[in-house]
Amino acid sequence: MMEVTTRKTIQMVINGQDREIEVRPNELLVDVLRERLGLTGTKIGCEAGDCGACTVLINGKPSLSCLTLAIECEDKEILTIEGVGDTMKGELHPLQKAFVEHYGVQCGFCTPAMILTAKAFLDKNPNPKEEEIREAINGVICRCTGYMQIVESILAAAKEMREAAHE
Amino acid sequence: MSKPMSKEELQYIGKSIPPSELFEKVTGRFQYVGDIHAELYGKVLRSPHPHARIKHINTSRVEKLSGVEAVLTHKDVPLRKLPRRDQRGCYILEDHVRFVGDEVAAVAARTRAIAEEALDLFEVEYEILPAVFDPEEAAKPEAPQLYPGGNVYGPQFGMLVEKGLNEPVVMEWGDIEKGFEEADVVIEDKVEVKPQIHSPIEPHICIASWKGEELTLWTATQSPYEVRMSIAHALGMPEGKVRVIYGAIGGGFGSKYIERYQPIAALLSKKAGGKSTKIVLTREEELCHAGRAGAKIRVKLGVKKDGTITAIYLKGFFNLGGYGNIIGGCGRFGEESPGLAYKYQNARFEGWDVHTNHISSQPCRGVALPTLTFAVENVIDQAAERLNMDPVEFRLRNLPESDDLMPVKPHKNPIYPRGELEAYPAQQILREVAEKIGWERFKGYQHPVAAEGPKRRGLGIAASQGWGGFCIGGFINETVILNNDGSVHILSGHTDLGTGSNTTLRQIAAEALGIPIEEVTLTTGDTTIGHFDMIGARGSRSMTTAGHLILVAIEQAKNKIRQMAAPLLEAEPEQIEVRGKKAYVRGEEGRAVLLRELLTSTVKCTIGGDPRDWLLIKGTMWPMVAPGKKTRNPVVAASEVEVDLETGEVKPIRVITGNSPGRMVNPTIVRGQYTGAAAMTLGMALWEEFKYDEKNSVYIHASLTDYKVPRALDVPPIVNIIIEEFVERPLDVGGPYGARGAGELAGLGIVASIANAIYNATGVRVRQTPMTAEKVLEAIEEKRERKK
Repeated sequence: MMEVTTRKTIQMVINGQDREIEVRPNELLVDVLRERLGLTGTKIGCEAGDCGACTVLINGKPSLSCLTLAIECEDKEILTIEGVGDTMKGELHPLQKAFVEHYGVQCGFCTPAMILTAKAFLDKNPNPKEEEIREAINGVICRCTGYMQIVESILAAAKEMREAAHE
Repeated sequence: MSKPMSKEELQYIGKSIPPSELFEKVTGRFQYVGDIHAELYGKVLRSPHPHARIKHINTSRVEKLSGVEAVLTHKDVPLRKLPRRDQRGCYILEDHVRFVGDEVAAVAARTRAIAEEALDLFEVEYEILPAVFDPEEAAKPEAPQLYPGGNVYGPQFGMLVEKGLNEPVVMEWGDIEKGFEEADVVIEDKVEVKPQIHSPIEPHICIASWKGEELTLWTATQSPYEVRMSIAHALGMPEGKVRVIYGAIGGGFGSKYIERYQPIAALLSKKAGGKSTKIVLTREEELCHAGRAGAKIRVKLGVKKDGTITAIYLKGFFNLGGYGNIIGGCGRFGEESPGLAYKYQNARFEGWDVHTNHISSQPCRGVALPTLTFAVENVIDQAAERLNMDPVEFRLRNLPESDDLMPVKPHKNPIYPRGELEAYPAQQILREVAEKIGWERFKGYQHPVAAEGPKRRGLGIAASQGWGGFCIGGFINETVILNNDGSVHILSGHTDLGTGSNTTLRQIAAEALGIPIEEVTLTTGDTTIGHFDMIGARGSRSMTTAGHLILVAIEQAKNKIRQMAAPLLEAEPEQIEVRGKKAYVRGEEGRAVLLRELLTSTVKCTIGGDPRDWLLIKGTMWPMVAPGKKTRNPVVAASEVEVDLETGEVKPIRVITGNSPGRMVNPTIVRGQYTGAAAMTLGMALWEEFKYDEKNSVYIHASLTDYKVPRALDVPPIVNIIIEEFVERPLDVGGPYGARGAGELAGLGIVASIANAIYNATGVRVRQTPMTAEKVLEAIEEKRERKK
């Protein structure tokens, strides 16, 4: 493989912070996040877009960072698991809280992708049915839980978020 | 001795306390091995041939590539084998390759791109050898031989045994000939199971690095002390100089023990002057190197007209592949459980563990039990149909109950003492599962419960048995340290795979000491603590084994305190209770001394289990929990499916599992284990298809697009029926607080229940996993042809 040496400086907003990053044209978003920025909460499971473990939100949409070139993300907003919840106050997002309380987590490897995918979904559909939740998370494989406790976590978070919105 | 307490008095047992590491996992801070930086990237060159001898390897072009720092071939590895539990020892690399994907050579480079480029620069000349893929064929003497001593591994345990024994593993009791003579109906059938690939989302991974003569290996493994023992032996090092750090595992399911890539990384690192070297398997490597054993199994069953089973004869060929694990394969453990699911008076279970030029077998959640249960229940269902009995009634008639004597007698294998089953609510579980799935809708074997257009719905049920009291007290070290402030620290040999065992073990310690769980800390994840565990997180044993030993150690620590407190309290040691950070005279809580006043140092007790080999200590694997008593888990599964007669597609509508965890320490964790095991075996039943093209030596299933593990929309609602039944005993006797294993057990009957449900819906028996739309349609069309 030839080392591609042309580099380009791009602007991105990552977890709410403006970042200026020099990237190679063939550099994947997941590698920039994990290796250059130390945001290792984003996982690599298959490198082929099948397992969904590398999911991040790009402008609010779940996207596979292992299939996305970093250079495509110029001027876009990227949200990784490190940016979910109030990191300054150390407070968990309702989804994170629900995944803890309802054990939507076992080994934890798919968890960041599950939470981000669920967040994008609930932001659009605050009152989902179980089947809609399953559809939303169908792209992220969990090999441990059999999905029941993940679905329960998302339902519980949706309820809490709706109640908070009413207050 | 401390007495157990009734439910109301318990503070932590039966409470769903979220595992402490979940906060890190939901925030992305939990550090897996892949999140640690390494200086070099290792890649493995793999064989394109199923069976070959390496005549020559030229590495000169690899070595010249800029950025390459180490190259490894079979000429560079020690002539000492890797000892591995329950499988043939193997060299780190060898000039003989035994399956497509077998390790040939390896390289470490400064970047992954360079390492990948380097793989193309190896020049390897192979002498291609004839290959064999079918275990039954491979067992014949004229088959191509993978090992000088033959392909059949046979009934043995030694880790470095060179030669196989050309005979099956057998468990038998009674007299099957007599049993079949007594039968009114004899049913015979066979099934075939394809390998299921574990597919943890975190691929196999390790980082090796050396400081002087000391090796450190960060790796995702379920069996860290086996990794240490094996590498130390092969490299001729003292075990203490191999440090394995294993705290975070992104799923294992039986796949992550010792494998060649770990010592390969160690040797690459050593050649590169000790630089940290990372090897991560690609998803393709992950899907094409090991899986649950493929198998071909014949079962013959004799029954009387009244529904009593008179005899069973099971003969199975288990595909070990090139290097497979016998527990992943058959037999000696696998057969015991389905063999005990019913009251068989006459039985012969015969398992042939055979090497072939296939991917290696590796235990996968429930090992051979889902396979064996499928083979047996396929025939049980047919027998019941022939007798015109309801499937539930037929099973109820033959299920054992509490106090029934397990009939198994040891055969060449002394580890199965007989005993009476205790707290064994098999019949109750079966009834409750049947009720939950709505069995009253069942109208007869070939009469679907509902029909709409081309769609037919059917119900299926299956029973099995699991090893709930596996290994109680064996092969692992646990230390309990009572600090002088009354808090407690545990050093544990167990491995938390993500099952939450770090938390459940803390729960039982907090309960036994009467202190807040926040004051119970636990260290595991690093072999420098020296808490050997012979077999690791396997066989649903963390709670029964580590948990039991922690309670024994706590009892010993309490006894030391009783001795020390007795003169101060002017009482006999036996009168003294140790709870809530103080020692007091039972019944007179005022006569007390605080531990922090009694102790200026810590009280430490270590329990080692029995360190001898399991062959030498009869009954250690499945010990008696009391004289003549054994603990097992009855297991039931029921499924409702919808089959499309035009496409063959099978949609699971609902799945009910029936379970007996003894007493649950953490109900939500137990439920999560049951649901996970059910979903995984549902994948085995329906979608996960291993495909190898023998003609072109190519894997066709090598991505998660082609190899379909269950996704959220595939898995129907799974309901777990749980019957808590256990015998109250002193805390340091039997399963902790009455707990049994949970991790694998809900998955044992799923495949069988799906097959029986498909039969109910369509009138066709599908005898091969996975039961894909293609296979089901083929069976439906075959039946139509036969009718014509």
